[in-house]
Amino acid sequence: MNSNNLNHIASIPSISRLACPDCDLIQTIPPLANNEVANCIRCGATLFKQQKNSINRSLAFAITGLILFIISNLFPLLSLKAIGLTQESSLLSTAFSLLEVNQLLLSIIILLTTFIFPATTLLGTIYILMQIKMNRINCYTAPLFRFLRSTDAWGMLEIFLLAILVAMVKLGDVADVIYGISLYAFCLLILSLSLLSYSLNPHDVWNKLRDSNGCSL
Amino acid sequence: MKTARQAGLIACHFCHTLSKLPEEIESKTQYELKAGKAIIHCPCCQSSLHSRIPNSLGRTWALLLAALILYIPANALPIMTVIYWGEGQPDTILGGVVHLFAQGMWPLALLIFIASVFIPILKLIALFSLLISVHLKVQWRPKDRTVLYRITEFVGRWSMVDIFVIALLVGLVQFGNTASVLPNLGALSFAAVVILTMLAAHSFDPRLIWDAIDDEKSIQDNKSL
Repeated sequence: MNSNNLNHIASIPSISRLACPDCDLIQTIPPLANNEVANCIRCGATLFKQQKNSINRSLAFAITGLILFIISNLFPLLSLKAIGLTQESSLLSTAFSLLEVNQLLLSIIILLTTFIFPATTLLGTIYILMQIKMNRINCYTAPLFRFLRSTDAWGMLEIFLLAILVAMVKLGDVADVIYGISLYAFCLLILSLSLLSYSLNPHDVWNKLRDSNGCSL
Repeated sequence: MKTARQAGLIACHFCHTLSKLPEEIESKTQYELKAGKAIIHCPCCQSSLHSRIPNSLGRTWALLLAALILYIPANALPIMTVIYWGEGQPDTILGGVVHLFAQGMWPLALLIFIASVFIPILKLIALFSLLISVHLKVQWRPKDRTVLYRITEFVGRWSMVDIFVIALLVGLVQFGNTASVLPNLGALSFAAVVILTMLAAHSFDPRLIWDAIDDEKSIQDNKSL
């Protein structure tokens, strides 16, 4: 970036004033106590969350999540027993089984939403939080976090868990459904993922990135 | 109280840093700004800055119409075929719900009905009415319309549950002619509807709802001066 672009950096103390993302109204955020949330006075959007230790806690949940994600992929989630045969299915095999019946696009959608996006979210979050903790923020930290924020909605593991429940009930009538070891890990994975998204406060991360100025603009 | 745009500022979509519009860009026409010809970057996270999502209405309309077109095959074509003792029985989305209901699994039927029928229709109607209200510069209950937008954006992804169920069944029930499940074209169309409406909700800018009110207010303020 050239020096020209430096001119437009506003000389406003960075975060006490911000514009509502949903209605664009500029507001000043008062100092908040722990666990207090600032909402927009006009449209009610969440403007700011005050959370103690959000980065440490999120890092813990993200690492837990990664371990559980690996375990969930090692063993079958569900098995089905009928006419003396057993069929197993895991996260990846669900995506690839669609490939076998010539549904390439569906298989790609399943692969992205249940494997690739969750994996990048977990790995990327751990990487960024580690960088913040070790003070090694570089040029790529901010764009990477931006990428993670924008792909957040496309990791759909919690929806996949609901689908597993539906499939279990549907099949329970006609055949023996056996829970795999991974199913327990998978349930815990969903728990740690939702705790991660609750504890990760993007404002905290952005403040850290803004302060450090790891990349000379 | 002023909006960021009235104050000559741009808030970054991601990190919420407020940036001043540089003068050389301020002098350019709104059209050029919208067309992205004058690109400035956020000093904090280097994302390209724009006061409103560029061409938000056009993009949302395009994605929504595409979703609407695909909604027809998604409901008319079967989503999967269940082969049981050599006999195939294709099922559409609604057919599957009726089937579950007839089997007495009404909680499941209700769940699938809400996720695969109710939510997609709700999303299509909500996005259409939001788009039309922005075009007509409606000033009616902007807060409720913003809440409607937030709900639309939040619930959209849960429609994928039916696609995942099909994927799981296809993976598990493969016992040749005795019992197997095959996906049909309806499933792909339905997945496309879900993804397109998610993208449409994402490209709609809720600040446009408030612009109609802010613009009207600033006109009145100018008159009273």
